[in-house]
Amino acid sequence: MPLLPKNWPLWLLVLVLITLPIGVGLLWLFLTALFDQVHGLRPVGDFSPENWRFFTEGSVGGRPSIWVALKNSILFAAAVATLEVLIASMAAYAISRMKFPFRTPYLGMILVLHAFPAVSLLIAIYYILRVLGLFDTLIGVILVKASLELPLGIWLMKGFFDQLSWDMEMAALVDGASRWTVFWKVALPLVRPGILALGTFALLSAWGEFILPFTFIVSGKSWTLALYMQSFMREAFVDYGLMAAVGLFYAAPVLLLFLLGQRYLLNIYSGGVKG
Amino acid sequence: MRRYLTPFLFLSPATLLILLFFFTPVVATILLSFTDLSTTTFQNPSWVGLKNYQDLLADPFLKKIFLNTAKYVALTLAFNVGMGLLLALLTSLVPERYGDPFRALWLLPRILPPVVYVFIWQGLLAEAPMGLVSDLLGVSKNWLVAAPWTAVILANGFVGASFGMLIFTSAIRAIPRELFYAAAVDGATTWQTVRKVVLPLLAWPILFVTAYQTLSLLTSFEYILLLTDGGPGFYTTEVWSLRAYHLALSNYFGNVEFGLGAAMAAVLVVIGVVVSLFYLKIFNFKALVSEPKIEVY
Amino acid sequence: MKRGIPVRLEGLSKRFGRVEAVKRLDLEIGAGELVAFLGPSGCGKTTTLLMIAGIYRPTTGAVYFGDRRVDPLHPRDRDVGMVFQSYALYPHLTLFENIAFPLRLKKVPDAEVRARVQKTADLLGIGHILERKPAQVSGGQQQRAALARALVKEPQVLLLDEPLSNLDAQIRLSARAEIRRLQQELGVTAILVTHDQAEALAMADRVAVFSMGELQQYDTPEVLYHRPKNTFVAGFVGSPPMNLIEGTFTGDGFRSGELRIPIPGAPTGKGWLGVRPEHLALGEGGHPARVLVVEPLGREVLVVAEVAGVRLQVLLPEDRRPEPGGQVGVVFPERATLHFFDETGRRIGPE
Repeated sequence: MPLLPKNWPLWLLVLVLITLPIGVGLLWLFLTALFDQVHGLRPVGDFSPENWRFFTEGSVGGRPSIWVALKNSILFAAAVATLEVLIASMAAYAISRMKFPFRTPYLGMILVLHAFPAVSLLIAIYYILRVLGLFDTLIGVILVKASLELPLGIWLMKGFFDQLSWDMEMAALVDGASRWTVFWKVALPLVRPGILALGTFALLSAWGEFILPFTFIVSGKSWTLALYMQSFMREAFVDYGLMAAVGLFYAAPVLLLFLLGQRYLLNIYSGGVKG
Repeated sequence: MRRYLTPFLFLSPATLLILLFFFTPVVATILLSFTDLSTTTFQNPSWVGLKNYQDLLADPFLKKIFLNTAKYVALTLAFNVGMGLLLALLTSLVPERYGDPFRALWLLPRILPPVVYVFIWQGLLAEAPMGLVSDLLGVSKNWLVAAPWTAVILANGFVGASFGMLIFTSAIRAIPRELFYAAAVDGATTWQTVRKVVLPLLAWPILFVTAYQTLSLLTSFEYILLLTDGGPGFYTTEVWSLRAYHLALSNYFGNVEFGLGAAMAAVLVVIGVVVSLFYLKIFNFKALVSEPKIEVY
Repeated sequence: MKRGIPVRLEGLSKRFGRVEAVKRLDLEIGAGELVAFLGPSGCGKTTTLLMIAGIYRPTTGAVYFGDRRVDPLHPRDRDVGMVFQSYALYPHLTLFENIAFPLRLKKVPDAEVRARVQKTADLLGIGHILERKPAQVSGGQQQRAALARALVKEPQVLLLDEPLSNLDAQIRLSARAEIRRLQQELGVTAILVTHDQAEALAMADRVAVFSMGELQQYDTPEVLYHRPKNTFVAGFVGSPPMNLIEGTFTGDGFRSGELRIPIPGAPTGKGWLGVRPEHLALGEGGHPARVLVVEPLGREVLVVAEVAGVRLQVLLPEDRRPEPGGQVGVVFPERATLHFFDETGRRIGPE
């Protein structure tokens, strides 16, 4: 607020206290991944390479290698983000910059779908993937994930395209460009902040995605890291050290991005991305 | 019509995917809810009319699940909105250089992979000597089993609070500085400023966050699935959407009752369609559409 | 470079929903001519320009470049260059790539692109800053880059949409002369859209004055100034604007309330008498008037005086400045510098 209260250190203290669980949780994850045993937050014993055996052991308890899961996760997140950004940008460009019949209803539909809770459709999507022969394939899950986030993506990108100058687009047409060329050479480079925002959001969201691969993927060869990690949770005996190590490995890109780009993430998520 | 070829091409990938994974599923959910599709009849399902809905109403656990859902939505929502508001106010009452990092920290639960996030909760709530909560309270219990509802609501709440926090923060930042100066000149205390100036101006954002999160909580089950999977024991934390998911897609309960699950999902789908159409109505939609200034493609 | 070609607009009109932005416009522009479209904002001049460029589709009518009908064509097939008020430079490209853009789209070989961009840029005096981005150069340099981009493909028609209105007053005057010089050197047919009558009069061979979507008059600057076709043109062209007095022509004079001006051979009937401030004088034997406002304009001074209930603007040399509140005499000029308009505002004399 524009005027700071005199007793703001007190408020800061309250803030620290209610945020403590988040910090403690992360600390617990680090310690548990690194040490033999952790009691509460007190490490007992030495650094434990045993926790990280999934790196070297080809298969832990009959699971596929973590490298397979890592490869699938990277593929999944990259493909989802690319598809989402590309398809959403194309549609948003048309909605924002072109005249065509039913343009307003189309935009209204996107807005409705943006608010619509897509998880309620999983049961029917399962059936559709079976019919299409895409069940238990990475491609199928990629398409579903990208599609379900399209309304959000289109809405976000439309906002960015709306701000482009009309003069510039007219200039490009007079200079000899088609709308397709304008899109690639003028519009897309100028909405780079939007592409970065949507791309980051899509990458984070796809990287963490659990329920879709969990529902639509069975075979170990198509497992993502989310499924790999979750497979340990189902076991009767919980090896906390090993799981924490896997979890830390899996969450590392997210934590790294968080450390490097807090402010950037705040901006993206403040920009009205759905929670 | 050839002149509309270009916009058509630009829109076709998005339209195709939306038709395939939004429109078809909505129709399919409704249609499937009128069939007896299950593991045994997967090849050859038949129409059963409203039977699934009758079964649903006759289900002795329906009341339990309904109450669970109400409890889950109401308590999580209260936590989300309350905590979101508290965080937005607190981070606005301290200097920016402290406020922003705390806001960012609260984003972490949302951007951490849910599996990792839930695993941390499980670890913290485990028995001694591993579990921190057991350690702190000096009572060794698996708190996930002892207090499943608290766990479910806190785990969901820590994820959901950031949504309200960000929206309320933007709203607070949009308040003209003069209002704060005027309040200060009038001799208002911090608390009076918050109560008389800030909170009244947050009425709309609070309503928006409440409406938006009600719908998404009603249908979400990812964190419950990971945390308790509806347990411990019999349906302790099983909510409507999770029950639909279990009926239709879970392999643990043996026979998969697709039609019945679809009937439960259909209820959510209808609510979703109606409520999101309602959002469109209260949104100032016309203001968002302006005419394009180029007439060539 | 090749010469420009004539441009012809036939029955051109444009409708946006219920608003008729341009109404049945007929206009011909000679090869190599510079024509200004002049009018207040919302008069349809920019809409007309965008129809010529191919950004808007005409609701009815046709656009010809020479004998070629171009209105069904995409902008890229029309061979036009255009400069926008905002310059519309691509902020993510260097000035070089901005100017090269039209050539790159035509897949011109790289060596030729370099040569032509450099030549055009040198012509405009920005050859030394081509590696900079638009945000790193001054407004005047941006304007030149926009002009270079429009000229680099050697178009037959050059369209200028308020190209000078974002420039500082000092640069604007030199830029006027510069654009005019280039246009004449290259022999390109040019259309300049502007709301600034001084700019239109200074630069154009002919000026088309627009109001409410309709062409009011299309003539040389001299004719516009000396023989405006109607009260709109009379009031819009010239600064300070012409005094327009509503009243009655009596055959031998003009009457407005208490004011009576003898004019030999005047028409008859209700109408308007127009007289430019620079043609009025103060002096003995004039109509008795009271000075309301005296506004020094540098070399001249603008006086607002009230004559028998009618307010008149009078432009005087600096040394003839009267005192505000004082009594003066306003002298009307002879018949030839007066303008007669009928009740509807149409010019009826003098011949």
